[in-house]
Order: sequence, then structure tokens, then C-alpha cells
Amino acid sequence: MDLTSGQVKPQPIGDDFALQYVGGRGFGAKLLYDHLERIKGPLDPSNVIIIAPGPLTGCFLPASTKTSFVSLSPQTGIYGDSSMGGNWGVELRQAGYDGLVITGRAKELSYLWIDDGDVRLVPAGRLAGRGALEAAGMIKGEVGDDDVKIAVIGPAGENLVRFACVNCDWSRNAGRTGMGAVMGSKNLKAVVVRGSRDLPVADLDRLRRATEASLAELQSHHLFKFWQEQGLMSVIDYVNSAGVLPTRNFRDGVFEGAERINGFVMEQHYKIGDAGCFACPMCCSNICLVKDGPYRGTVTEGPEYETACMFGSNLGVDDYSAIVRANQLCDELGVDTISTGSLVGAFIEACESGLLTAADLDGRALSWGDHVGILALVQKIALREGVGDVIAGGARAVIERWPQMEPLILQVKGMEQSAYDGRATLSMALAYGTCDVGASHNRAWTVAKELELGATWGLEEKADIVIYHQTVRPLFDMLGVCRLPWIELGFDENHYPEFYSAITGVESTLDELLAKSRAIYDLTRIINCSKGVSRKDDYAPRRLFELPIQSGPWAGKKIDRAEYDALLDLYYDKRGWDRDGIPPAEVEGQFRGRVG
Amino acid sequence: MAKRLTVVPERCSGCRLCELACAIHHHGVNNPKKSAIRVMVAFPHPVIRMPIVCRQCGQPKCRENCPTNAIARDNGVVRIDAESCIACGQCVITCPFGAIFLHDDLELPFKCDLCGGDPQCVKVCPKQAILYQPEHIAGQAHRMSSMLRYAHMKEVTYVEEGEQKKLRYAEIGKPEPKA
Repeated sequence: MDLTSGQVKPQPIGDDFALQYVGGRGFGAKLLYDHLERIKGPLDPSNVIIIAPGPLTGCFLPASTKTSFVSLSPQTGIYGDSSMGGNWGVELRQAGYDGLVITGRAKELSYLWIDDGDVRLVPAGRLAGRGALEAAGMIKGEVGDDDVKIAVIGPAGENLVRFACVNCDWSRNAGRTGMGAVMGSKNLKAVVVRGSRDLPVADLDRLRRATEASLAELQSHHLFKFWQEQGLMSVIDYVNSAGVLPTRNFRDGVFEGAERINGFVMEQHYKIGDAGCFACPMCCSNICLVKDGPYRGTVTEGPEYETACMFGSNLGVDDYSAIVRANQLCDELGVDTISTGSLVGAFIEACESGLLTAADLDGRALSWGDHVGILALVQKIALREGVGDVIAGGARAVIERWPQMEPLILQVKGMEQSAYDGRATLSMALAYGTCDVGASHNRAWTVAKELELGATWGLEEKADIVIYHQTVRPLFDMLGVCRLPWIELGFDENHYPEFYSAITGVESTLDELLAKSRAIYDLTRIINCSKGVSRKDDYAPRRLFELPIQSGPWAGKKIDRAEYDALLDLYYDKRGWDRDGIPPAEVEGQFRGRVG
Repeated sequence: MAKRLTVVPERCSGCRLCELACAIHHHGVNNPKKSAIRVMVAFPHPVIRMPIVCRQCGQPKCRENCPTNAIARDNGVVRIDAESCIACGQCVITCPFGAIFLHDDLELPFKCDLCGGDPQCVKVCPKQAILYQPEHIAGQAHRMSSMLRYAHMKEVTYVEEGEQKKLRYAEIGKPEPKA
């Protein structure tokens, strides 16, 4: 779809293309690579955004829910992707599409209306400045169907905030890498879908057998019930007791107020219901309502772990109701809670340490735990008011304006770090450093494994586990399924080739699928290297090398640069990249040529 | 004993596994839009998720309003007769629960038939939000909770094996002592 001309060109997907790139992030990376030469900049109309579920999305298997958004990221300037759960991708596939490739820029704010194969661009000036949830409600009224699925941006996306997200089903977000800003730059407020078609499944009986066994396996896990009750909120206690809970802008590893923002507080005082993504028995999400205090009446789906940390412990906030409010505000405004919480944390630290004064923050200094000031700043970021206009530019813009802030901002390649401390475990530091989209935990989350099993690990094991995670986790994003059954409830990854074979009719082993995922990691690396990425960009955030953890079981621990360098060398060797992190030229050959 | 499909909305997470299992069982296709059960979701005002399913009414409105008498209740299941149905959609509009459905690919309206006494939605639901129970159990949760609300009137604390415990009871028939 070219938004500039309004032209739609439906294209069938060739077998070779589908086999090599699988779907989701795989399709996205290849199509971005094909367009790369023509892209003048992330927010230029020439950029392309690929929105693709996977071949398993919508099918009868646990958590077949995911859709990937892929584009040149306005946050990092390199390859960016972010995936979301919910029902949107299922609906898109039922409308007859395995992916959308959107270029150009609509001449006025519009939404794309995909109704069972019929695609139209609808002018939507009246939605300008509306919150994501509010706009979704208005669109449903307009098309006269409460069941349509909507991927929508809030005012932050329209205002090109570099870490704006895309929201669907009220609370599932493609949160990271600024995909909302890409949509905003294209004057695309939303993509609305409705579909009714059967999803092709080669052998339905085989799929049914595999799924019935899988559901039984998941539900027999000893933590299954607890997971339904608390979801990712259960992780807070674990991470705090392990001493890696981000606290006060990653200065500390334990938070004295953790037991006021943990899963039990959520469950006992705030939770009013469960919410799950499509076809998922785990229902990670908790719907929370604030019943008293200044935020009374606030209702949101969430917060989950990342949000609760980044707006809780990381900002010194121990009032759970304020975190619920922050979650709701970020959903409506359409900003990533991780990047937002991280940047706000750096500003609080700067105020507390005297690096910045109240005058730098429009006359209102911030302190740890000051949730009133924090919420006001979030609003200013999304609406680009005062200092919020600078922060909206992301980590790099803040450092450009205030170079003294650099040591305080935890970022890699321009993206702020997720909510797990990287100092206690070297493999997690490497995971942040070498993640293809910036300092995200989405590609490799090795912190728990290394804490539990890693006492005897050498560099070899650490490099191996990072690479294995960076191979298997993106595979879930290619297949269009969620990784949480695997990572949280030990659901065997060997189930996935069975699902894939039953659905596509193409017999495949886990090793074959992993090889395809590994190739995509090479491809995203090639894209990044073409944008100037090399070894210098593969270092974990500065703070991990400079400031030891201040408290808790890991007090005094930081990452040793020589050790990190040795691990990075080994990591490159194992990937077959040179010591500057550049893949050999012949690797690129397999991605050339436009297949399908 | 007659059994009923009942729904506990507050347990539903909105995952739609029931829709998939239903469509696969009845139509042999992976298509939640062809299921005879639908999960409705409202958020944030009000917040509720609820599977909509045929109650197999004793006096079915769909039957009353069917112009060709194609709907009959047989052995506790309300069925649409394919021979006499003219697919006018009157039953779809008339059902007070919206539990009869239409789909472009399908000639006739379709609805729940309890899968011959072994409802697939009940089996697949990971939250026990859909139950298939003897009829006399319907409403039991409400009866129990209204009784418990009454019993909250009085409380006695006691110690058992060193642990402080509470027992709630109602002193039926005795007036409240004046404070």
C-alpha cells in the first residue's frame, strides 16, 4: 500500500519466500532490506513499515497471537521491530493477508480500513490528538462494528515521539523501537481490520492432537494457576530477591518498597479480572482498578512487570495506584513504558544529583517517588511541551542537549535498556549490547538462567546461551506466536516444528527453523552494518561498566570491560562475524534478489 | 439428569480458545467466525468479558418467531432443521442473547448443539469459565453467596493447634444486641 498515491497492490507470497523467511519478523526484515536503498530516513515518507503476523497466527495452538511491526526505527536509525499480541493479527489473516507493506505518506490524517480483502484509506482528521483507546472507540462507532480489530497510535505517535508505540485491543502494544512514530510520520492513525475467512491448516487433525496435548501439558505445570493469577507481576519478587531489580535509575538492585508494588499487592487490592491474548491459556494480563486515593477510578489492563518496574522501583515509586495510572496514561498517549520510565529516571537522578536544575525542567524539579511530577512529565513528553519536547527525541536527543546526562542514560544504539539489571550477569550485559534493535530484553533474556545455573559458566557458555536465545526467541516472532509459554512455563520448543508442519504441510525440524531464524539475525545485522553499526555500538550501557550496583546481594558488582571484550570477541567468532562485528560479505548473497 | 451450559463471566480472560475448538469441531475449519460461541469484551466502561452461548431455552424465542417452524427443542437441545429453514435470519435477530450466528460461507444460521453432550468449549476453557452442569446447580453460586452474606453477621475467634482462627455464624432469630 502506497499512502502517497493511495494505490494498493495485493501480491501473492511465493513459496520460496515463505519457506526462507517464515513470516512475521522474517518477512519484515527481508522486505525492509529490499527497500533499504530507497529509504531517506526513518520518518521520511520513503520509509516502509511491514506489519506481519506469522504462519501460525490465529491457529488452534497456545498463544498464536503475535504480529510483528518492522521498519527503520526512528529511535535508533537502524533495523527496528516490535511485536504485539491480542487479536489484530488473527483478524488480518482472516481478511486474507499475511502482511502489509506500507510506504508513502497520506495527505491528511487517515486510517486504513481492511474489510475482508477490500482495502480503503479513510480520512480521519477528527481523530487528531485523540488517545489510542478513545480513537479506537470512535472508529468502532464509525464502522458500526464493535468486533473490528484496530492497531492505533495515540498523540505521541502523531507527534513523532521517537518511542511511540502502536496499541491494539486497548492494551496490547508494539511498544519498542518507535513504530508508532513511523505510523505518525505516514499520517496513519490506525489500521482497522475485519476478516471472516478460514485460516488454511494442512492437517487439522494433526494440529488438534498436538494442541490438545500441549494445553494439557501447560495446565499441568505447577506454576500454571499462579501464573494465571499474577502473570508477569509475579516476577517482581523474584527479581528483587535476586538483587537485579532496576531501582532509582539502575543505581540499586533491590527496592525497599518492592513488597508494596508486587504481584500480591496487585492481586489483593487492584485486580478485578484476567485478560489473555488470542488462544492463550495463560492470561498474563491483569485488569487493575484503583478503588481509592487520588487515582481512584483509574482502570487499565496491566501493569505488567516492565511497566511496574520502570514506573515503580526505577523511579522510587512505591505506590501501586500511581503505577496503574502511569500505565493507563502511557496506553492512551501511546508511548513505550520502558523507554519513557527509563528517561524519566535519568531526569530524576539528574535533578537529585544537581546535574540539572528546576529551570531545565520548566521550573518543576523531580525527586524519587514524586509520582505527580512524573505523570505530568509523561504528558509533556507525548504532547511535546517544554522539556518534554527534548525527551520526546529519545536518548540521543537528550544527550545532545545535555551531554552531562550521558552516563545516566542506559541505552544501546539509542534504545533505553529494559527492566533487568545487567551487572550481576555478564551474559545479560552481552544480550543488551548485541540485541539487534537496541538495549531490549526481547532477543535474549538470560539473566534468570545465569543466576540459577551460571556459577560455573565460562565465557563459552555465556556466549552460547545469548546466541541460542537470540535464535529461538526471534523464531517465535517469525512464527507469530508468543514466547511466554516457553520461557515462563517451560513449554518445550520442540512442539513448534510439529505445529508448523501440521499447519503449512511442510515437514520441518526445530533445527531447520532455528537455522532460518539465525539467518534473519545475520540479515538484521547486515541492515544495521549498512547504517554504520559495528563493534563500537555493541557495548552494554555505560552505567554497567562505570557504576557498581549500590545495594543488595550484588552490591559492588559491575561489568569488567576486558571481560566483556573477551566475551564479545567470542560471540563474534561463534556467529562467524569478524572482530569488528561485521558478517562476511558472502553471507549477504542468500538475501539478495526479490523472491516472491 | 438434564444438564446446562452455564457461563461464569468473571472468570473469562477473552482468549477465544472456545471459539476455535467449536469451529473446528462443527465445521472442520480453523475459523473463530464460524463458532457457535462468541466471546464479547467491553473495556474500560464497563470492564467485562463474557462468552455468549445458547441457553437451550425451555420456551425458545427463536422457535416462536421462526416463520417456517424450522426450530424445535428436542432432548434439551434447540435445533434448526436444515430442510425447512429458509435462512431468513429471523432467529438471529430474535434470540435475546445473540446466540445464533450467520457466516458468508454457510447457507444456514448456526447455533450450539452441545456437541452431543460433550461440549468442546467446556473442555478447552483454561479458566473454567464455561461449565456443563446438572440443571439444579444453576444459580447455586448465587444462593451460596447470599447465604454467606447473611452469615457474616457474627464472628467468633478461637485457637486451634496454636493458630488463631475465625468462625462466622448467624444467630438466627435473636435480635441484635443494643450497642
